[in-house]
Amino acid sequence: MNKYRITFLPSERIFDAHEGDTILDAAMKAGVYINASCGGNSSCGKCRIKVIQGSVISTRHPKISKADYDKGYRLACRSRPESNLVVEVPIESQIDGSILKDNGRKPLILLVSDLGMLIKQRKADPPFFKLYIELPEPTAEDNISDFERLVRELGRILKKHIFSADLNVLKSMARTFRESIWKITVTLTLCNNGFRIVNVETGKKMLENYAIVLDIGTTTVSGQIIDLTNYGHDICTLAEASDYNGQIRFGDDVISRIMYCRKTGGLANMQKALGDTVNGIISQLVKKSGVRKASISHLIFAGNTTMTHLFFGLDPENIMLAPYTPVTNVYPHAIAKDFGLDLEGHVYVIASPCVSSYVGGDVVAGVVGCGMSRSEKVTLYIDVGTNGEIVLGNKDWLICASCSAGPAFEGGGIQFGMRAETGAIEQLKINPVNYEPMIITIGKAKPKGICGSGLIDGISELLLTGILDQNGKFKRDLDDSRVREGESGFEYVVASKENTQICKDIVLTEVDLANVIRAKAALYAGCKVLVESIGLTFHDIERVIIAGGFGHYIDLEKAQIIGLLPELPLERFIFVGNGSLLGTRLFSFSRRFIDEAQSISKKMTNVELSTSQKFMDEFVAASFLPHTDDKAFPGVLKKLHRYKLLP
Amino acid sequence: MFEISKVKYTGKIKEVTLGSGEKAVIIGGETCYPFHLFEGEMPNTPKIAFEVWDFEPDDWQDWAIEPFRDVIGNPAAWARKCVEVFHAEIIALNLKGADPNGKDRVVEEVVSVVKNVIEAVDVPVIVWGTSNDEKDAVLLRRVAEVCEGKNVAIGPLSEKNYKHIGATAIAYNHPVLASSPIDVNLAKQLNILLGNLGVKDEKILIDPTTGGLGYGLEYSYSVIERDKMAGLTQEDIKLQYPIVCNLAQEIWKTKEAKLTQEDDPKLGDEKKRTILLESVSAMSMLIAGADVVIMRHPESIALVQEMIKELTSRGI
Repeated sequence: MNKYRITFLPSERIFDAHEGDTILDAAMKAGVYINASCGGNSSCGKCRIKVIQGSVISTRHPKISKADYDKGYRLACRSRPESNLVVEVPIESQIDGSILKDNGRKPLILLVSDLGMLIKQRKADPPFFKLYIELPEPTAEDNISDFERLVRELGRILKKHIFSADLNVLKSMARTFRESIWKITVTLTLCNNGFRIVNVETGKKMLENYAIVLDIGTTTVSGQIIDLTNYGHDICTLAEASDYNGQIRFGDDVISRIMYCRKTGGLANMQKALGDTVNGIISQLVKKSGVRKASISHLIFAGNTTMTHLFFGLDPENIMLAPYTPVTNVYPHAIAKDFGLDLEGHVYVIASPCVSSYVGGDVVAGVVGCGMSRSEKVTLYIDVGTNGEIVLGNKDWLICASCSAGPAFEGGGIQFGMRAETGAIEQLKINPVNYEPMIITIGKAKPKGICGSGLIDGISELLLTGILDQNGKFKRDLDDSRVREGESGFEYVVASKENTQICKDIVLTEVDLANVIRAKAALYAGCKVLVESIGLTFHDIERVIIAGGFGHYIDLEKAQIIGLLPELPLERFIFVGNGSLLGTRLFSFSRRFIDEAQSISKKMTNVELSTSQKFMDEFVAASFLPHTDDKAFPGVLKKLHRYKLLP
Repeated sequence: MFEISKVKYTGKIKEVTLGSGEKAVIIGGETCYPFHLFEGEMPNTPKIAFEVWDFEPDDWQDWAIEPFRDVIGNPAAWARKCVEVFHAEIIALNLKGADPNGKDRVVEEVVSVVKNVIEAVDVPVIVWGTSNDEKDAVLLRRVAEVCEGKNVAIGPLSEKNYKHIGATAIAYNHPVLASSPIDVNLAKQLNILLGNLGVKDEKILIDPTTGGLGYGLEYSYSVIERDKMAGLTQEDIKLQYPIVCNLAQEIWKTKEAKLTQEDDPKLGDEKKRTILLESVSAMSMLIAGADVVIMRHPESIALVQEMIKELTSRGI
């Protein structure tokens, strides 16, 4: 793909944009403020720029007069570079030049890392695989049973002799063999004592082997459908879907869900609510991918211990009660249909193994997914979820902890919070002079709400522009209509109603900010306590892997400004997106990864934070922007001083 | 030769001047844990402030009123007596009467009392508000105005009202008492915010929230201790401020301070008991690291002064 260099005036910032990027995208990444209120879908007409040099692909928008168009004015969200460009941003001309020029900010945005690296040089070896077989027809001389006939042939191919079959397979075997004139496709899986035959289909179907992988979170359930025959250097994802966990109506966190399960019929209701959510996702995945349902061979999911218990209908009560014992940390392979899932009778469910009551299969999947258990490097893995999970270690040792961060980064407890999907504001910049926001939404749709990455951006921008104090409270004496007193206290208007999809102003309230600050403080405090528990400091960490479904990207600099991430060199960070989904993808790719998960789940040491006084202290110390310990964030404070926000 | 092991200090508590003129008092400045004179310096010995109320208290024990019976209806005379008879070095004027949950006196009425007291004495004054965020935001700003030039310590400032009062205190150049609910990190947050607002380092005092003996003293004790450890040994500059404990009102309102020997013979003589309650609590605060304690009874004050003298004399 071609790259074009764009020079923005008057800041003289330079950004190398990809061919398909809009000038608005490029400006956001380069840290150049352009007024944009509609998320980039060109309905507000505010993101005017003037092309000084070079050419852009851009149709004239009705908001730009013919005369202005001839002078070179365009809408940034509708313009894509065709050559190197020099563009002028009229709105920036009003801003003090020193602020614009003082940091030649390179984009520090991390996109989801390439999975290809993780599976390089690994052979695909899915836990459920298909074989095409042509069986000899029975004759008077060779009249062994259908099952033995199949086993004889399989033994010849797989060089193994122990085979078993599910009763369901036997029930349809005779008919399938004869209807297909003895040309069949068999689905097999490796068990402790040899191969198990889980399905027999007519004809050549070995190129139709699909898996559904799921991350079952307390707040969000995300799924993908994977083509298992199309793996080379990447795992082929055919479709993605996600939804809020239907159990939310019974409580926001795992404890309230467990409490609900103590009521008569509570567990069954809870299991059904999750089943319904999963069925919804399965049906979306099947619809989007066009895959034949019958060719899905298995479903793999990872969830925290409570979610995993609830999926299987296991009593979660003792997860909540001291000394916190789950029923099991390893789960049997079971038939999906038995849990009310809308899948064929042969489809098995595999759950990622858990470590303890509060360190679940999602963390184990994440650790496998990000590769830290195969690396020499001392790695800190942070899963930013409702339960923030943190793992520290390398291939020789692993310790983990979980801290209750709350659902803020997934949009929960935030008035206009939402999951990272179309219409979510995911990038936000604020003009330091007139406090006007520049927003970009996922899918460039009119904004509907704000997702996790938008919150990180938003809070850091509010702080950097001096709208917000370090304690997360709006300055009361600002003479600006963007900051106003709303129904739940002071708020900042991110998008006014004429520019939104919901016909309401999208605002960030002090209550929202307090929720985000609590969430980031819990995560940071958890990391600090875990790292220090083994005598290390943040500076000893060679690599920090961030996982979480809060957006498609994370702006590291801004995450450090709000004190979510420790101030370490930026090259030490990797963002993997949904880590637990990444792990389940690997599980579907090779059963060796499942074996690895089993062994990791047994060797991980859990550090309990809920009873730790040090954690509480660190939590309060971190409940500030960026932190009360100025020595921990020297760079951020320097920036605040430079912006003259601190004396 | 045996040498006692010593703590290495890296910080110093800021010196804050209270009051103006000849009788101005400097507090703070220490470079060691309280009374660890073998390890560092305490250039300004800890001080005791005499408590005076803005109105004639109606719920005080008779033996607490006794030393001030002749002046208790007149705050200015009361303050003057503290200075002239009991040699008070600091007066702490408690504006209890303005509390919306109590008498709810109007602001200007209370402000005129403050004015009278300020004019009546030449020693520094600490003006302690109602701890009601809204009322104090109005009241203490007015206090700052009328006390112009007197360098009066004003508080408590909370996270909710620090901006209003802080800005006025900057304008009139008064020290402020930053009040936080028994937590070292919350204390630090408020100090940072005050610094951001523009309050100078030499104008900040910490009110860590004080609990009396039997009523949470141990919490205050460990928070004060941690404040001082952070400031002196962990280079935590935002905790290097003197600490003021408003003790008297916590001690004298408790059940143990109110019951007479007649009510409960097991508790013994009420006057002796309450004086000991107050002095033991004050000594604990001082040993934890308080730089100023606000006390009520001249006899308990005398006891604590004696202790301070003994602990700071270099006779050993």
